[in-house]
Amino acid sequence: MINVLYLDDEAHNLTAFRAAFRRDFQVHVTTEPTDAVRILREHPIEVIISDQKMPKLSGVEFFELIAPDYPDPVRMLLTGHADIDAVIDAINKGQIYKYIAKPWNESELRDLVKEASALYHDRQAIVLRGEDLQQRMSKAEQEAVKIQALTSSQTALTADETARVFELANAIQRLLQA
Amino acid sequence: MQVAGRKHRHRLWWIAVFLAAASALSAQSMIGKRLEVLTDTLTADLMGLPAVVASTAWEPAEQVVPSLGLTDEVSWVRLRIDPRSENGQLIEIQNAGIDELTGYMVCDGKVIATYERGALQTGPFDATFGTYPTFPVPLVECDELHAVFRLKSSKPLLLPVRIAGPRQVLNDAHQRDILFAAYFGVILVMLLYNLFLFFSVGDRSYLEYSLFIFMIGGTQFVLNGYAPYFNVNDWPWLNERITHLFGVLSGLTTIVFAQNFLRLSRYVPWLHKLLNGYFLVYLVALVLTLAGQLTWAYNVINFCAAAIFFFIPGAVITMRKGYSPAKYFLLAFSIFIVAVIVFVMKDAGVIPYNQWTFFALPLGSAIEMVLLSLALASRINQLKKESAHAREEQLRISQLNERIVREQNTKLEERVRDRTADLEQVNASMRSTLDELQSAQQQLVQSEKLASIGQLTAGIAHELNNPINFVASSAQSLRRDFEDLNEIIGMVKAMDASDDALENQVTAIKEKLSQLDIDFTQQEIDELLNGIEDGTNRTSEIVKGLRIFSRMDGDNFIQAQLNELIESTLIVLRSTIKDRAVVDLQLGDDVPPVMCQPGRLNQVFMNTITNAVQAMDGLDREVEENCVSIRTARVESIGQDWAEVRIKDTGAGMSDAVKSQIFDPFFTTKPVGEGTGLGLSIVMGILSDHNAEVEVESEEGTGTEFIIRFPL
Repeated sequence: MINVLYLDDEAHNLTAFRAAFRRDFQVHVTTEPTDAVRILREHPIEVIISDQKMPKLSGVEFFELIAPDYPDPVRMLLTGHADIDAVIDAINKGQIYKYIAKPWNESELRDLVKEASALYHDRQAIVLRGEDLQQRMSKAEQEAVKIQALTSSQTALTADETARVFELANAIQRLLQA
Repeated sequence: MQVAGRKHRHRLWWIAVFLAAASALSAQSMIGKRLEVLTDTLTADLMGLPAVVASTAWEPAEQVVPSLGLTDEVSWVRLRIDPRSENGQLIEIQNAGIDELTGYMVCDGKVIATYERGALQTGPFDATFGTYPTFPVPLVECDELHAVFRLKSSKPLLLPVRIAGPRQVLNDAHQRDILFAAYFGVILVMLLYNLFLFFSVGDRSYLEYSLFIFMIGGTQFVLNGYAPYFNVNDWPWLNERITHLFGVLSGLTTIVFAQNFLRLSRYVPWLHKLLNGYFLVYLVALVLTLAGQLTWAYNVINFCAAAIFFFIPGAVITMRKGYSPAKYFLLAFSIFIVAVIVFVMKDAGVIPYNQWTFFALPLGSAIEMVLLSLALASRINQLKKESAHAREEQLRISQLNERIVREQNTKLEERVRDRTADLEQVNASMRSTLDELQSAQQQLVQSEKLASIGQLTAGIAHELNNPINFVASSAQSLRRDFEDLNEIIGMVKAMDASDDALENQVTAIKEKLSQLDIDFTQQEIDELLNGIEDGTNRTSEIVKGLRIFSRMDGDNFIQAQLNELIESTLIVLRSTIKDRAVVDLQLGDDVPPVMCQPGRLNQVFMNTITNAVQAMDGLDREVEENCVSIRTARVESIGQDWAEVRIKDTGAGMSDAVKSQIFDPFFTTKPVGEGTGLGLSIVMGILSDHNAEVEVESEEGTGTEFIIRFPL
């Protein structure tokens, strides 16, 4: 299930959101930004939705606040009326994925959350794959070092040694092809 | 003109009489060439008569009328007489102006008779033989008979001498008397006539002319020896000087007359000044005369007489300048000058000495008088014409002036019209500018209104968004929850107690219930319903607030609760304020309704509350610190009850300079484009319509409080 965090100062919105999406996603809701940070810490949140207009700090400010510690979750901004300044702010400062106008359309919002989640996972996959590649590269490098050690010490290789070199080369090939 | 013409003829007749009389004068033979003059006057002075008689220094006179010149010396003259043919006759010296004259009859060197001034003129005056001194030739037997004369005079010694019989002398004297009588008659008539004219007309020139005539006539009278008729001889002092005095006075009057007649000061100023100079010279002559320096005086007078030669060019110039009477003057003086020349030439022997030439001077003078009289008449006419002309000119000038004034008036009126038109145009343009300004102001007020409506709608939209959002969303969720419940209900309905499988059915239902987490669902349904209820409540509250807020009862004053208005304003503003400030609302229960225009008062509250919130923006502090406190109360002040609204912020405050301008239209502290600067001026306008009092208390760094009091 997709982990979604929804921050809004209007408690009824939270209730409505949870009721609407609890069947599809793992929904976390709160009216308090501090509580939202706690949830981020405790749950693998993939998508964050925040209301823009809140008494203590705005949605954009919240995103700005959490950006250094939680760069990965995809953010979406929810606001009551089209406020062009908020939109510009959101895009420039908060690294917002989507901007949603209230009242939301449930199915659209659902699709958006799914898209955001997919994006999150794609990003995660890319990150993982990169890490995997890095690991394999370092392993391949280690194998290559071994080959070098074998080939540099002697002028002629024994059959065993030649077989070992081939084995290592194959290993490198496998590592790189994966 | 006819009168002048008659006068003209009249005078011509006089001239005819004069000429006729003159023609009766016979030619007289002057024997000047027989006279001998003593050259050795020194001896004569020292030794006296015997030396003169004995002297041989006699020289014959060259001229027919010898002139001994003007001298202080005593002159001696002798005439050789033929005792046979000329005895019994009279020696006549035709000069009445010799001051001292003694005649001696010398027979063969012996003085046989002595005559003072003439034989028969023993008394002061004896006109037996006329006005000239005469000396009878004695009836004696002599080889050589001489008449010796001792002469002394302060006037030129001119000696027209003849020897004629007593009858002849007497006859000539009579003729001369008649002519002079006629001459003096003319002079007298003219004098009286012009004096009369002077007294009747009052023109000064007649008086001057009269004086001129009198002096000229008088001069002739004196020169021709008629002075003794008035016993001048009784006053030797005067007798000695009378010729000189008349010379001076006639000269002066002539110059005055000429100056004024020719109007030299106007036509020939330089000549006028020159002639003025002659007055001084005549004054010198007068002084010399009175001092007894008669010879010198005579010289000066003679010198001055030349002034009349200036009259000719003066008259010509004046005439050329269009002054027609000058021509009579020119003619008169020309004739007079010709007469003078004839007179002088006769004495010089250039032309014969006879009664004609002798009488040239009085005749010329008479003609001159007559012509000048004509000239004067013409001058008076000219003056009349000129004055008429001047009057006409005056009239013309005044008409011209009038016309100019009229034109100026017209121009002035035109200018006034132009200026008025300009002013009207300016007025019109100012009026239209004013209209434009007023409409611009109305537009601005309107746009301010629209802006607040925009703010209002934005706030409302936002305020409605949340309830609509969760009500709509909750409804969908509720449907799903009820679907779950319906499923259970369906299962419950399908239960059949008779069925054996009841146990199974119950188990299935319980399984379903736990599967659907029905407890949670029930709780959710509760929450969702609460939300919907709350949402609808809030929506209706907003709509109600909106209705109160936007009550466009327009300009109608109605009773309204200030508290209600403030609350509705806050509903509209809630979303605007929410993330910027907290509101501390303390509405007094005792505030009675106020007669007001609620819609417009809402604008006032919205403006002031928005201002309060804006005053706290950008101070970089927690929202809780930004507090708008709104209080209403019933207060008593200045002996009156008021409904008071206080709106206070904890914002930046204002300086006194800013505070003094906040109600001015277009004054704003906001950046260009963010505020019209009309908000508070509109507030002020609305509040003054409500007779409300406004007080602003502000301190920089602490905040501002608006205190509005509505009279109750």
